[in-house]
Amino acid sequence: MRAVQDNLPLLLAGLRVTLLLAVASLALALAVGTFVGVVRVLPLPIIPGFGAAYVEFFRNTPLLVQMFIWFFGLPGVGISLPPFLAAVVALGIYTSAFVAEVVRAGIQAIGRGQLDAARSLGLTYLQTMRFVVLPQAFAITVPPLGNLAIALAKNTSIASAIAVGDLLYQGEVVNAQTFATYQVFTTVALLYLVITIPMSFGVNYLERRLVAYRR
Amino acid sequence: MNLILDPERWSPLTLVTTWQALGRGLVLTLQVAAGAALLSLVFGALLALLRLSRVGAVHYPAVLLIELVRALPVLFIIFATYFTALHYKLNLPIWVASAAGLTIYTSAVVAEIVRAGITSIEVGQVEAARALGLSYAAMMRFVILPQALHRMVPPLVSQLITLLKDTSLASIIGLTELLTQGHNIYTYYGDPLQILITVAVIYFVINFTLSRLSRRLETARRQREPRIAIAPRETEAAA
Repeated sequence: MRAVQDNLPLLLAGLRVTLLLAVASLALALAVGTFVGVVRVLPLPIIPGFGAAYVEFFRNTPLLVQMFIWFFGLPGVGISLPPFLAAVVALGIYTSAFVAEVVRAGIQAIGRGQLDAARSLGLTYLQTMRFVVLPQAFAITVPPLGNLAIALAKNTSIASAIAVGDLLYQGEVVNAQTFATYQVFTTVALLYLVITIPMSFGVNYLERRLVAYRR
Repeated sequence: MNLILDPERWSPLTLVTTWQALGRGLVLTLQVAAGAALLSLVFGALLALLRLSRVGAVHYPAVLLIELVRALPVLFIIFATYFTALHYKLNLPIWVASAAGLTIYTSAVVAEIVRAGITSIEVGQVEAARALGLSYAAMMRFVILPQALHRMVPPLVSQLITLLKDTSLASIIGLTELLTQGHNIYTYYGDPLQILITVAVIYFVINFTLSRLSRRLETARRQREPRIAIAPRETEAAA
């Protein structure tokens, strides 16, 4: 275990970068994805079509290819992003396509009857949103968004391909230096589990609570 | 000028050799994905049955394995498989190591899809089969599986799309699949953006076609059997 003990600071630095990547790209994904999701249900011609094209393109192409486009491709049109930023943009935009679908489904799941009922009770538009639509949409979207966040946390490992010093990247570095493959990869796995298992328990908890709430 | 539409910058795409290289890459991508998909179906179904078992000594190890693998990044699993093989001086060809890593991850996800499909069958169906005197095997064969299989198709196709996308990760351990071929082309001609967009479009065409096909099957099924859908967690979002 010397190989791991001696290099633990490096692996923990990688863990920190992984967490930063996950948080920053999740924020980007939620902001862009919510916007695109709302655009997809606008009662307008053509514009929702752009939203659909955005979603289909970004979720049907590999994240690694997208990351290469942001990092290696954009300098060709005069835009150079540093690796960390390119990784955040790639992860955020990729995930936003999935967020958009969740948001769209959440909005569309609120039945027409709910809106009619709210109006016939004399609620204003804001009251309808605040007390009728949003609480229900929230209950519907939170568990799938939680699952997307878990997938995103795992996907941060792909940033290692453009030499962002994340957990997997540092694991490779330590492995190359020490050849202690078994110990190094077990440690890296445990550090990933430290992130994903609590998230998964959190999502399960929310799912149960929100199902109860909806009844 | 830095114009992306400058025809000069797309000139590598007018060469036959470019398309031959991309074609070779695509064939390898499809081969590895198909191999991993078939193996994952077999192992995934097996894992699901183990997890559904009421025998603790079978059930708990299956739960542990499935949940452990699903909680790890697929790229990590590909690396771990590859480096473990290297460490023990197993001289696996790159495509075997790639397919193995992808299979380990995808089997765990498929196991959850199969389990969700089987448990989505209403208790009444089981009770009816029992009341008719069907054996366990006959009940599975004639009552549960035919219904469950239909419900598993959409999530399985969406996982197949994920798998196709994930094969690109094997380029990192040196598999000369589509992305690697693209990489080789642009390191030679020195203009990554155009080639990378071409590679993205090739993936898009395949995956978009698959997702459309799946949606059509799903609509047809809904017309026969309304209101029931299974939605296994996370399958849509994996890398």
